[in-house]
Amino acid sequence: MRVGVFICHCGNNIAGTVDVQKVAEEMRKIPGVAYSTTYVYTCSEPGQNEIIEAIKKYKLDRVVVAACSPRMHELTFRKAVEKASLNRYFLEMANIREHISWVGDDKELNTQKAIDVVRMAVAKVMNNKPLFSSSFKLTKRVLVIGGGVAGMQAALDCADGGLDVVLVEKSPSIGGMMARLDKTFPTIDCSICILGPKMVDVAQNERIKLYAYSEIEDVKGYIGNYEVTIRKKATYVDWNKCTGCGLCMEKCPSKNAYDYFNFGIAPTRAINIPFPQAIPKKAKIDPNYCRYFLKGKCGVCAKICPTKAIDYDMKDELVKEDVGAIIVATGYSLMGVENFPEYGGGKYKDVITGIQYERILNASGPTGGHIKRPSDGKEPETVVFISCCGSRDKSVGIPYCSNFCCMYIAKQAILTKDHLPKSQSYVFYMDIRAPGKGYDEFTRRAQEEYGVRYIRGRVSKIYPRGEKLIVRGADTLLGIQVEVEADLVVLANAVISNPDAAKLAEKLRISYDTFGFYVESHPKLRPVETNTSGVFLAGACQGPKDIPASVSQGSAAASKVLALFSKDVLESDPQVSYVNPNVCVGCMKCVKTCPFGAIKEEELRDGRKVAKVIETVCAGCGICTSTCPCGAIQLQHFTDNQILAEVYAFASGK
Amino acid sequence: MVELKEKISEVFRDTNLVICWREGFDPIHATPHFVREESQIEDSIFNLFCVHNLCVYLPFLKEKAGILVKGCDSRTLIQFLQEGLIRREDVVIIGISCRGIIDVGKLMREVLYEAVTGVSIDGDSIKVKTVSREREFQLTSLLADKCKICRYPNPLIYDHLIGEPVESKVSWDMAYEDIREFEKKPLEDRLSFWTKEIGKCIRCYACRNACPLCICRDRCIAETRDPHFTSQSVELKEKFMFHFIHAVHLAGRCVECGECERACPVGIPVKMMKKKINLEMKELFDYETGINVDDKPPMYTFKAEEEKIKEHEL
Amino acid sequence: MPQESKKELRIIGFLCNWCSYGGADTAGVSRFKQPTDLRIVRVPCSGRVDPLFVVRAFLSGADGVLVSGCHPRDCHYSDGNYYARRRLEMLKRLLPFFGIDDRRFHYTWVSASEGERWQRVVTEFTKVIHGLGPLKIEEGEEIG
Repeated sequence: MRVGVFICHCGNNIAGTVDVQKVAEEMRKIPGVAYSTTYVYTCSEPGQNEIIEAIKKYKLDRVVVAACSPRMHELTFRKAVEKASLNRYFLEMANIREHISWVGDDKELNTQKAIDVVRMAVAKVMNNKPLFSSSFKLTKRVLVIGGGVAGMQAALDCADGGLDVVLVEKSPSIGGMMARLDKTFPTIDCSICILGPKMVDVAQNERIKLYAYSEIEDVKGYIGNYEVTIRKKATYVDWNKCTGCGLCMEKCPSKNAYDYFNFGIAPTRAINIPFPQAIPKKAKIDPNYCRYFLKGKCGVCAKICPTKAIDYDMKDELVKEDVGAIIVATGYSLMGVENFPEYGGGKYKDVITGIQYERILNASGPTGGHIKRPSDGKEPETVVFISCCGSRDKSVGIPYCSNFCCMYIAKQAILTKDHLPKSQSYVFYMDIRAPGKGYDEFTRRAQEEYGVRYIRGRVSKIYPRGEKLIVRGADTLLGIQVEVEADLVVLANAVISNPDAAKLAEKLRISYDTFGFYVESHPKLRPVETNTSGVFLAGACQGPKDIPASVSQGSAAASKVLALFSKDVLESDPQVSYVNPNVCVGCMKCVKTCPFGAIKEEELRDGRKVAKVIETVCAGCGICTSTCPCGAIQLQHFTDNQILAEVYAFASGK
Repeated sequence: MVELKEKISEVFRDTNLVICWREGFDPIHATPHFVREESQIEDSIFNLFCVHNLCVYLPFLKEKAGILVKGCDSRTLIQFLQEGLIRREDVVIIGISCRGIIDVGKLMREVLYEAVTGVSIDGDSIKVKTVSREREFQLTSLLADKCKICRYPNPLIYDHLIGEPVESKVSWDMAYEDIREFEKKPLEDRLSFWTKEIGKCIRCYACRNACPLCICRDRCIAETRDPHFTSQSVELKEKFMFHFIHAVHLAGRCVECGECERACPVGIPVKMMKKKINLEMKELFDYETGINVDDKPPMYTFKAEEEKIKEHEL
Repeated sequence: MPQESKKELRIIGFLCNWCSYGGADTAGVSRFKQPTDLRIVRVPCSGRVDPLFVVRAFLSGADGVLVSGCHPRDCHYSDGNYYARRRLEMLKRLLPFFGIDDRRFHYTWVSASEGERWQRVVTEFTKVIHGLGPLKIEEGEEIG
């Protein structure tokens, strides 16, 4: 064995507090080290060439580079040794910068530490084995989960790029939250007028296969080769026959069904089409309210339907789709009004949430776009908006900012004035967060042109007095208590993750944070990737964000998928587990603990059962290796013997 | 005894193999007995000297078998089933309710290692005839230590049951009192205790070989350089390493059948280490080995929120 | 046992590549000064840490062993730290049974952005080990 050791000065970054010459000298004393040297910047081109030349000149078969973190330059040096015809896994790095020279001042101790750490790397590299990647084919189809604006954008961009797309939406129509909005800030564009055409594009695009009112049941496989099971939930209406005429909805005698689309601001019918622009525009029965399901008789819709589309016996259906990549765009949920009892949420009818107010403002909403308060249908004269309801409140477990409430409050206040010129709006706020393009100007316009009164402070209590709601709070800028007699109170309720976010994450094997939002691969540099290769994120499922940010992420995720699919084959990472069938005793404990389902039972020709790793599925965590009692399954490049070699080398120090 | 043989015959007709006991080279040593022919049934016995946990043979048996188990042994079967090491349909279990077995070592010491020529049991006393004399002992004084704290004298899983159910008055706390007492000693005393005990180890691996849950058999990492967890050196640290390997690999798996301790030729209390871990498994995961077929061994599963594991502060 | 003030003790740390190793890098980039005793072994995941590595380190001469992974829920491999938590907790409770002070073994969670937390973990843990002094497991000697 002929190991070459290259100690980097990193200018003065390392050499300033580590005696690199002494480290190099000490390494020469280790049996098997054939060459040891230092260089001022090993990662530079001449530095890399030095390694390449030395490999050839001294016939080195293993290389240790002691420099910065391997997270920084491991790939650089792997490529360098490969140029000298050495397998790239014959390289090890010792981190003597981030872990030594930058965190200790004592040169003597630093040098001793560096000697130990480089010796440990030498011990490990002596146990390294050459590894080779294998290539595998991929299915060039993409699954998009969620048909909100982010998911639609991703689906359309992928389809434009020539990919077949499977789009799964859990509610009966695509459109998501944006379809519920009246106008969008800061341009006061009609939301559905800009979203509607996109929804139609999705419906008409031949490359997009839409599963509405469907959910992800199961995900198997790995990047390039996923098998997804989709649950098509029973709608009790045959959508092949339904024309969306709406006759059933008109005649349905069950008139008090909860309206999910309108966030319960007004009831809907047990059979309904959620909104006029719905795509697909098909009816669906809510069995929790349908008289036929509750009492066993009614059948009005079945009688009236001109195409005989009603099917009370319909069952959920499972379908399978093969895809090569997955874009998750499942969006967000909102805290319900009942979570704010201090504001009378759930108790006073005229305390509503921002999204409910949005529906009241909307021309296709339950009031036809006329601002009428829920209790008595009167036009409000005084409207109070309260920001940060739940958000930035550690006491309810939501320390984060919900991102877009400041902006929609300003928008809704402006719209209120447009609808009702005599009205007066008040906004209780903590801070005004308006960092986007044209955003700050917008909130100023609300105050300066529309006369919205912004009061910096929290509301302490809301209670009724006659037909009015008395809003009491503090004005912290003036240092006084204020009291507003309101006709309507709108709460900017916190954005939360979907209740089933964790369940879906576990099916997809992606990480989620304490709040249920999905975690990107890197907060700055890999914002739409996840740690599961082949799964990408778009929109508010990753954290609260507004429409332009969601659309950008949708496009970004699509471009990631298109880049991935521009290759005909994918290369697998060879740092995966391997079972030595001669050692495996077939206890299958590894099979039970593998988080990726990457290990299966295999019967050898002599009838013995052993474990076998599916290389393309294995993610390289090594849980199996620490589970296996007999050391039969070894994670390549992090084998027991490689780690033990480091431990023994550590112990031989001093 | 008639009942035993009848049951074995019945099971044998179905399996063509029944693993049981027969008398060994003298009256105080039983030995495992593989009944593969009808004529061998006659030799089968069950008495106070049937000490072995016969389940040790099962995981690598390639055929269906009948097996005799005492209460303690039956937990091994449940553990095997939890871990998927055997299939239920591959075993026919003849359970025996047990009043305890004799610690042959204790008996041998009492009779000063003289050859035993005859034994007769009468109620709570036992008469032992050796080449030079005959002596009588109280049964309880010769009972194996594990039987004195036995909580499961009746098999927990069986297809056929022999004997009247035996009642145990031993509670969990009583069974683990020895561990709690030991833990009251200062750290230094514990280290010196194990230094002395493990120092005696001759690395014969008898404890491991007798253990029914040591499923690695000849591939044990204590005897290989790949992976190189320990060397064959006789240093104390390597002996410690071996015993740690044994204990850690049995974490949440040891059913406390005590075969390791019975097999140890130098008298190391090997079972203590496993009992300690079992105590922790109960405390951390409310898990007891070999009780419920549907339980999951705690080291091979997890909860996102562990109720009992608190973050450690420095 | 008298100690020279500058004398180091033998401390080894097993750090998962994705979180804690990154956290130690972050501490380095931020120049958060730390005691020098610790030597780091990079592993892909805390779930890769066999409790026997910890035992081996102690028996080979370590005075302290540290394992650090991603915070629960943040594991790069989704479940690795959950397995680690159970197995390492088991070990932490087993060590004192053999007379090895459980404070010599610490396992914790440090994310890639928690450079300051890493500095604190290293500093505190090193202090604890110095407080306990060297670990001796030798025939005839009786020091825990």
